[in-house]
Amino acid sequence: MSGVPLAAYLALGLFMFMTGVVGVVIRRSPIVIFMCIELMLNAVNLTFLAFARYQFSPMVAGNSFREGQSAMAGQMMVIFVMAVAAAEVAVGLGIIMAIFRLRENIDIDEMNLLKG
Amino acid sequence: MDNNAVWLIILLPILGFLIQGLAGPSLQRKIGKKALGVLAVLPIAASFVLGLMLTQGLASQEHAEAVIVSGGSWINIMGLNIPFEWVVDPLSMTMVLIITGVGALIHLYSTAYMAEEKDFSRFFAYLNLFVAAMLVLVLGNNLPLLFIGWEGVGLCSYLLIGFWYTDTANTKAANKAFIVNRVGDWSLMLGLFLIVVVISGANIPVEDNRYLSYDAMLPALTTALKANPAMATAIALLLFGGAAGKSAQFPLYVWLPDAMAGPTPVSALIHAATMVTSGVVLLNRMNIVFQLSPTASAVVCAVGAFTALFAAIIAFGQTDIKKVLAYSTVSQLGFMFIACGAGAYWAGMFHVTTHAFFKALLFLGAGAVIHAMSHEQDMRHYGKLAKYLPITFGTMMVGTLAIAGVPGLSGFYSKEAILGSAIANSHAGQLSAISGWVGLGVAALTAMYMGRLAMLTFFGKEERWRKLPVAEHHDHEEGHDDDHGHGHALTGDHKPKEVPVSMWLPLVVLAVLSAGAGLILNEGKRFEHWLYPSGLSQLGELKHEVPNLEIYSYIAAGLGLLAGVLVYIGGLPAKEGLDETKWARWRSAAANQFGFDALMTNLFAEGGRDVAIGTSSFLEDQVIDGAVEGSASGTRNFGGWLQQIQTGAVRLYAMLMLLGGVGFVGYFLFIVNRGGK
Amino acid sequence: MAGFAITGELLFFVALAGLAMLSAVGVVAFNNAVRSALCLVLNFFVLAAIYFTLNAEMMGITQVVVYTGAIMVLFLFVIMLLNIGAPQLLSDKKDPKTAVGMTLGMVMFTLVALQVLPGLMSKTQPGAPNDYGSPVNVGRALFTGFVIPFEAVSILLLIGIVGSILLAKRRF
Repeated sequence: MSGVPLAAYLALGLFMFMTGVVGVVIRRSPIVIFMCIELMLNAVNLTFLAFARYQFSPMVAGNSFREGQSAMAGQMMVIFVMAVAAAEVAVGLGIIMAIFRLRENIDIDEMNLLKG
Repeated sequence: MDNNAVWLIILLPILGFLIQGLAGPSLQRKIGKKALGVLAVLPIAASFVLGLMLTQGLASQEHAEAVIVSGGSWINIMGLNIPFEWVVDPLSMTMVLIITGVGALIHLYSTAYMAEEKDFSRFFAYLNLFVAAMLVLVLGNNLPLLFIGWEGVGLCSYLLIGFWYTDTANTKAANKAFIVNRVGDWSLMLGLFLIVVVISGANIPVEDNRYLSYDAMLPALTTALKANPAMATAIALLLFGGAAGKSAQFPLYVWLPDAMAGPTPVSALIHAATMVTSGVVLLNRMNIVFQLSPTASAVVCAVGAFTALFAAIIAFGQTDIKKVLAYSTVSQLGFMFIACGAGAYWAGMFHVTTHAFFKALLFLGAGAVIHAMSHEQDMRHYGKLAKYLPITFGTMMVGTLAIAGVPGLSGFYSKEAILGSAIANSHAGQLSAISGWVGLGVAALTAMYMGRLAMLTFFGKEERWRKLPVAEHHDHEEGHDDDHGHGHALTGDHKPKEVPVSMWLPLVVLAVLSAGAGLILNEGKRFEHWLYPSGLSQLGELKHEVPNLEIYSYIAAGLGLLAGVLVYIGGLPAKEGLDETKWARWRSAAANQFGFDALMTNLFAEGGRDVAIGTSSFLEDQVIDGAVEGSASGTRNFGGWLQQIQTGAVRLYAMLMLLGGVGFVGYFLFIVNRGGK
Repeated sequence: MAGFAITGELLFFVALAGLAMLSAVGVVAFNNAVRSALCLVLNFFVLAAIYFTLNAEMMGITQVVVYTGAIMVLFLFVIMLLNIGAPQLLSDKKDPKTAVGMTLGMVMFTLVALQVLPGLMSKTQPGAPNDYGSPVNVGRALFTGFVIPFEAVSILLLIGIVGSILLAKRRF
């Protein structure tokens, strides 16, 4: 729709991304950390689509990639991000399940076997 | 006679060394020691004959010209050429005759002296090698070849002093000789380098780039040094440093008395007749440098005179017959350097020749006495040996009179030449005359201590060895391959027997030479013109006529001998007896070299060890190990400090990433883009 | 602010955006994992709506189906299986990381916003054709211009399947 500035979408996406980052740093449950990661990925998706819609391509003159294609490219990116996110969540939650079988609680601060 | 025979002169002793060294023990079993001994003497005698022929060829010329016999090239790089070349000139031929002649006699003597040794062939191998090295020293036409011979005789001296190596005292003496010599060698090498630097620095062309060969170097060196007299003094002093090491001048004389630990023939050949005269040979070869430097000549004179006096006094405190002769050698070498300092280099060589005869005679005679007295060397246990050892006695008396300077015998003429030149010339300034008069005094002292030696050994009122305890009879073991104590010491019932013919024959020959050589050589300045046919280039004709010097010499010799006879005619005085606490203080101090040897040992040997330990503990442990271990531990500490970031906590990592991101974006925002567009 | 009219679309967008922001904060803020998950679900729905306002209908539907329908269900299953609901499981100690993290987050937000947004304030009109997001166009692009990444992603999904099955087995 017209009338909404691009900057607004970008600001929203930025806010969601930062919230996700802060969430990863703050929370101690791996599940919630995962969810914050999903939040971040969604923020990125939003940004991609916003740019696809508003056709903001600074390299206009002399680029092989015509402006018209940037709309489709943005959506393609979003599809792939979603696919990757799905695969990642499946495997990641599988790992969390495997760890939970060994220990009773899941506190990410106590998973420091890589300490060194 | 073709001058190429000079190669044979050198190679024959080397061949002897190889035969003795490689096949010696097996030959000893097959043909016996006597034949092996003859095999050892033969190369030296053959070299002597060849030397005679070459000398005859030289002498037949009106003006003996030096002939250079050239071998192949040795070092030839970067404009410095040092070939193998020998020189046949009067100086080298004189030394060849002395070395091979006296050497052959000593080889003959050793076949009897060392007859009981198990390591018979090893001794002769070393002895032949020594003769070869000495021949290289005198026959080489350039200084590096002289240096090879120099080092070679140093090595053989070390090997021969430590011949009975199972006794630690002998090996220590050998080490001392070698190491003190090294100090002199260092000085000599610096002199060699300086010569090349001076000649090439003055841009004087040298024939065929042979910067260190005598014939090519000396004219160029003369030109260079005339323009730069300070360098002449420097080179002269460095060369003299080397000579002082080899010829046992103060302060590098300390090895010679200890070198008496070797067998007596070694002392006779090396430390009396040949090796110790290498310094004088060097000064004769390089006399032009000393001619151009009165300062250095004065130093040489002074050192020579001081050494002569110092050693003569010490000789009075010695009771070991060989040690007396050792200090006598040091003293006589001082005389030779007085001559060289005064500019009369030929007189130094004259004394070398006569000294070779009578000192070798004296040493061999002492060896005969020691051999006859069951290897007892302390003169306090001798006495009245004249009737038991007649030939030894007779020849040793000739030697004693010769060294004392009794007129008519050879020592008199050579000493006259030295003292006369020293007093009459002014090349070395006042010091030359002072040295000459000091030398006269030392001549008197020489006569006195040699008289002391003769009286204590051959005369006296009683046969002092009878006072020693009588040992019970025990079987001698065959072999005698342990230390030279030979299992049985001197006892009270010992009967001294005259030595075999192969030992007294060389004594007789040397006695004849000691008696007659001076007279023959002195006729009409014959020796001077033989060595220096055209005189000395810088100093011209030297004077050596001093009014009344002959009379003073007669008085000095006479007084000395008289004093010696009178003091010791009654045998051993109580004040010099076996109880050393009764000795006069000066005598005990003299026996101790006035503390000089102890000073040298503490200063350099102990001091060197302390420096080494200090350096090791500081540099090695603290600096080097500290640096190495420090870098290791530093790395480890740094790693440990860095390790703290790896907590394994995911949240921390995430926060660090966030922090990094903030920094990155902030950098771009504020620094690259200057706070946004 | 450059001149733009307060239109209905803008107000609608502001409402949706506010909801999205609130739910995002809710994901992070709630102690209870289930409530975080539900906030996230709400966030995804709102995002899908925003995608629709952007004329990217295919993406919006895919968002609902994949994210909320599959991923969040998976999350909720895991939360249920692991019994994480109880808030006392993770009692936070007074952790400096919280304060530091939030500060850093806010700083980062301001920095990036300052960097990026001022230059884009003028862009208010969309440039893409209005049907760019229809399934027809997306499908055509997916199977012609971007077919290689499409095949690669299919391999990725296969690996994901194999991996998650392996991880879930009780015995290897």
